[in-house]
Amino acid sequence: MAKESKPWYTRIGTGIWKFFASLKLTIIVLISVAFISIIGTVIEQNQPLEKYLMAYGESWTKFIIYGNLNNMYHTWWYNGLILTLAVNIIVCTFERFPTKWNSLLKHKPKKFTAESVNQFANKRTVKVSAGLEETRTRVAAILKKNKYKTVKFDGNSDEDFTYCWRGVIGRFGSDITHVSLLLILFGAIIGGFYGYKDFKVVYTGDTIEVPDVDYNLRLDKFWIEYYESGQIKQYNSLLTVVEDGKDVLTKQIWVNEPLDYKGVRFYQSSWGNAWDRIAKANIAMIGKEKEQIYSNMEIDWGVLTKIPDTEYSVKLIGFAGDFAYDEERNEVFSKSAEANNPAIQIEVYRGGKLISSPWIFIKYPGIFPAIPDSEEDIVFGGYTGLLYSGLSLNKDPGVNIVWLGCLIMVSGFFLTFFVYHRRLWVYIHTVDGGTEVSLGGLINKSNFVFEREIENIAKKIKGDTEV
Amino acid sequence: MILSLVFFTFSFIFYLVTALVYVANWFVKKKWLGQIATTMAFVTLFSTSMILIMRAGESGHAPFSNLFESMVLFVWALNIGYLLMEYRYKFKSLGAVIMALEFIAMLSASLLPYRFKSVEPLNPALQNKWHFMVDFLSKFGLEDYAIGWLDFHVFTTFIGYAAFAISFGLALTYLVKNKAEVKGKKNFLLDRFPDSKMLDELSYIAIAWGFPFLTIGIVTGAIWANEAWGRPWSWDPKETWSAITWMIYASYLHARVTRGWRGRRAAWIAVLGFVAIIFLYWGVSFILPGLHAYA
Repeated sequence: MAKESKPWYTRIGTGIWKFFASLKLTIIVLISVAFISIIGTVIEQNQPLEKYLMAYGESWTKFIIYGNLNNMYHTWWYNGLILTLAVNIIVCTFERFPTKWNSLLKHKPKKFTAESVNQFANKRTVKVSAGLEETRTRVAAILKKNKYKTVKFDGNSDEDFTYCWRGVIGRFGSDITHVSLLLILFGAIIGGFYGYKDFKVVYTGDTIEVPDVDYNLRLDKFWIEYYESGQIKQYNSLLTVVEDGKDVLTKQIWVNEPLDYKGVRFYQSSWGNAWDRIAKANIAMIGKEKEQIYSNMEIDWGVLTKIPDTEYSVKLIGFAGDFAYDEERNEVFSKSAEANNPAIQIEVYRGGKLISSPWIFIKYPGIFPAIPDSEEDIVFGGYTGLLYSGLSLNKDPGVNIVWLGCLIMVSGFFLTFFVYHRRLWVYIHTVDGGTEVSLGGLINKSNFVFEREIENIAKKIKGDTEV
Repeated sequence: MILSLVFFTFSFIFYLVTALVYVANWFVKKKWLGQIATTMAFVTLFSTSMILIMRAGESGHAPFSNLFESMVLFVWALNIGYLLMEYRYKFKSLGAVIMALEFIAMLSASLLPYRFKSVEPLNPALQNKWHFMVDFLSKFGLEDYAIGWLDFHVFTTFIGYAAFAISFGLALTYLVKNKAEVKGKKNFLLDRFPDSKMLDELSYIAIAWGFPFLTIGIVTGAIWANEAWGRPWSWDPKETWSAITWMIYASYLHARVTRGWRGRRAAWIAVLGFVAIIFLYWGVSFILPGLHAYA
């Protein structure tokens, strides 16, 4: 047999092709992906390990980590299923589209017989008193008004054969939708490879470097608006794009209103109290022995300030909202973003010379002497916090391809669901006392619509309604 | 606050009455009963619309911002969808099923805890407005009522949900009726429904409406997410579940043109799809943690 004689690789190739050309595969993969996706909504994604241990215990956590169920939507097997769908779409399109194209657009309608019109499920016959010629013109006008394209076949003075159709483009809606899905996938892949996401904590006046582009961004102002009830209405940042040292653009952004510049978008994504700096601190110089306050003052961040009537100057250089000390790295840090144990670091100058840089605490005044070998000490009384603006940076060169794909997909749906392909065969012939018109046809969807339309056309031919 | 709740109470009672009249008309088919049923459906539609209008007035923004408001929107869209179907296809037996669904929806909305019902000012993430609309409406001092991708997203999604609810009712009826037809049983209640072929067709048409609307809902939701959070898709449970339902309905559409899958199997997929919709809508909001915590 011919089939046997084909080499093994051709047979395997055909087998694979047939596997991917199957609609049953589509249904099974779609339902499988749907069910598998549920896992990732039940197991919270990308959480710290401890959270899984607490929620699921050790053995299940091992299973989750081993199977990458904590980052499920980026695993090879999940993406493999999506890829299967993509290949399925491509193969199905190659398999079906050319045939469809030829049969629908390059088709040569065959001449039909009077009997064949009566074989359709949707049919109607009307009798009119007018002559054949007059009826024919009338029918042609009605069909034209109903947006039908027509082909006429040879008839004679007693008979007339017309084939007409409408909405053939609706048949291609599914192909357009399928291609748009590939386009969306392509856009997502482009975004994944060439884009990035970043998050920055920015303070007023700071300039941040933006990766991959030749400009910087400065935060000029950050503020929060409140409703009268005290709820937060909106938070805003005033951003300036700095290019070659020059300000080129200033824009106010808020949640839902990003700044878009040269392919990178800047979003207002959060805000908060700074844990590693403040705007102002209240300090006082006291006498150690007599607990006498010499001077009570407010100092600004980073500004060398002279303490009146003394030889000392101080500069505020550090803050920790929840003081902690890392012995290994010899570093001070904030344990949390809460102000549980606020501390500031100041530089103390005597006569213009740096003599110490101590950490001082609100809760524990005098625990470390601020000025070594001296009768005076400095205490930390309070502070004015600083808000930071949390900015998300996002470069996604694929996103516009995705939107284009979505637009095409929706138009594909419109064609698929609402543009019906109708074909109508019309046979007109002379009978006793007039002319008889027989209509019969097919629709690719919704017989109901078609029944009504044929009914309607028949009525118009009869003359019950105006043409 | 007051007027919208007054209309809610009225609508609640109206839906019960409407459902009962439709059921009565299903059992004892009488022309006048059918006319009363349809009239009641219109009265409830008016009353439901008034809930939304009053709510907009009371909250000072488009009434699509929490679970309660979206439930009312769903009920409203389902009512319109049903009436359109009744008008177009001229049968009222399905009204008993749909109006019962409406009543259940109203009941669940009324049982929502207070925090899902109260009128709240919009939080920052929900303030998504089209600039042109803000500019236009500010001429009349109505800029607070401008809508944006977010409102559009909610609106289209709920039209989709309503269409799926209708397809669910039709698919269930199809499954019951088809079984009876295959066994050759006669039952006067089932006879009041169109034959199963028609029910299948109508179920498809409902999904053919629901699916594009759900898709537009997902896409506009992604556009909003991209403006509010800086990414169109982040595999948040709500997003993932919307993709799950989308895939279930996509498989329904493919099942309908595949030998061996059309008919009963496809109808079961339609039922499964609506179960997924209910979970997408309520389950995700109450059970699963995520960004989409409003509704």
